[in-house]
Amino acid sequence: MVEENSCVAVYEEHLQAETAVRQLLEEGFDAEKLSIVGKGWQREEHPIGFYNTGDRMKLWGAQGAFWGGLWGLLLGAAFFWVPGLGAVIIAGPLVGVLVAALEGAAVVGGLSVLGAALYSIGIPRDSIIRYETAIKSDQYLLIVHGGQSEVERAHDVLATGDALDVTIHLS
Amino acid sequence: MNPESTFFTESTRSLKQSALFSELADSSIADILSRCRRETWKRRRQLPMEETWKRFHILLSGRVRLSRSNPENGRMITLFLLGPGDPFCIFSLLDGEAHDVMLETLDDVTLLSMPMSEARQWLNEHPEFNRKLLPYLGEKMCSLAGLASDLALHDTETRLARLILRYVDSGTQEQHVTPRLINDLSHEFLAEMIGSVRVVVNRQLQHWKQEGIIDAHRGHLEVEALQELAKRADNHLVKIPA
Repeated sequence: MVEENSCVAVYEEHLQAETAVRQLLEEGFDAEKLSIVGKGWQREEHPIGFYNTGDRMKLWGAQGAFWGGLWGLLLGAAFFWVPGLGAVIIAGPLVGVLVAALEGAAVVGGLSVLGAALYSIGIPRDSIIRYETAIKSDQYLLIVHGGQSEVERAHDVLATGDALDVTIHLS
Repeated sequence: MNPESTFFTESTRSLKQSALFSELADSSIADILSRCRRETWKRRRQLPMEETWKRFHILLSGRVRLSRSNPENGRMITLFLLGPGDPFCIFSLLDGEAHDVMLETLDDVTLLSMPMSEARQWLNEHPEFNRKLLPYLGEKMCSLAGLASDLALHDTETRLARLILRYVDSGTQEQHVTPRLINDLSHEFLAEMIGSVRVVVNRQLQHWKQEGIIDAHRGHLEVEALQELAKRADNHLVKIPA
């Protein structure tokens, strides 16, 4: 069960998001409580694909190392085509939330399936619109799930980095 | 908060629209935002003051109620209903103490939050803000004094009329108006704002509805005859043209 408190940071570049994940892990945060959302395959001029040759999903493409590394580190991997957003790639426990939203038909009126997943972890609609816009603009979301003190501590760590926005969502 | 972020721009716009922060220079607003973090709280979140008094908050959207209750008899009184642009906990900012008040969000709220020490430092560095803060504090003190005197001196009808008038823009020429902040609140909630109970408030609103003074339906409250409501409030301070 993903906790309904979160700290969400928005990044312009995937390398910035990756650095933030490493920073959180160095600070002792649990990898099983981190999620990353992005499009992952914009501006490609070469073949891209998702494949599995072992125990985890991999991405063939310019960001293969980034997503492959995250999928090896975080809990859960997913690729979804979301109407209105396009391709969305996710790593982390948000995958389970999104699938549960789909399976439970818990898609909230006016929200995409990604929006419904964010809504179900306690993120209000106004912020969801901002996050969906960020994804559309090829930005990345890093989400830290946890108790209030955990997400507050995550905020303090992430606020010192390259994030465009860092917001705490408390339920 | 990062000055290049969308939320920074949105927060600046929200503060510029609020009565308390609207006259501040852009640089002063940028300075306060640089010290804040952005938070959202879900609707119906209840927080005792001991969890919040060490940080200073500014509401950007949604409503927060500050109330006090007696756990032995379950009675509750709403001290303040705060909306966008309102700060809390203003008393803790002044005296550095926790106060026996419960916070409750009535909507999903967005707010800015910073440590009290940062807020005090910002105040010291921006004394021009006191031109707005002092009248704001005066208004809050008058509001508390009004609540205390209403509870001691007036009956439920007068208190309810005064409550509604408090959330109507002063000086309006209209007879048909929608009160701010309270127009969608439950009768129980309204009762907790005037030290009464739901059934009494419900009966009074139905009575006024029959008289054509208000319209209350589907949890929505509108004033149909403001002048008449002012008479019921017996409020000679409210000047409404005939």
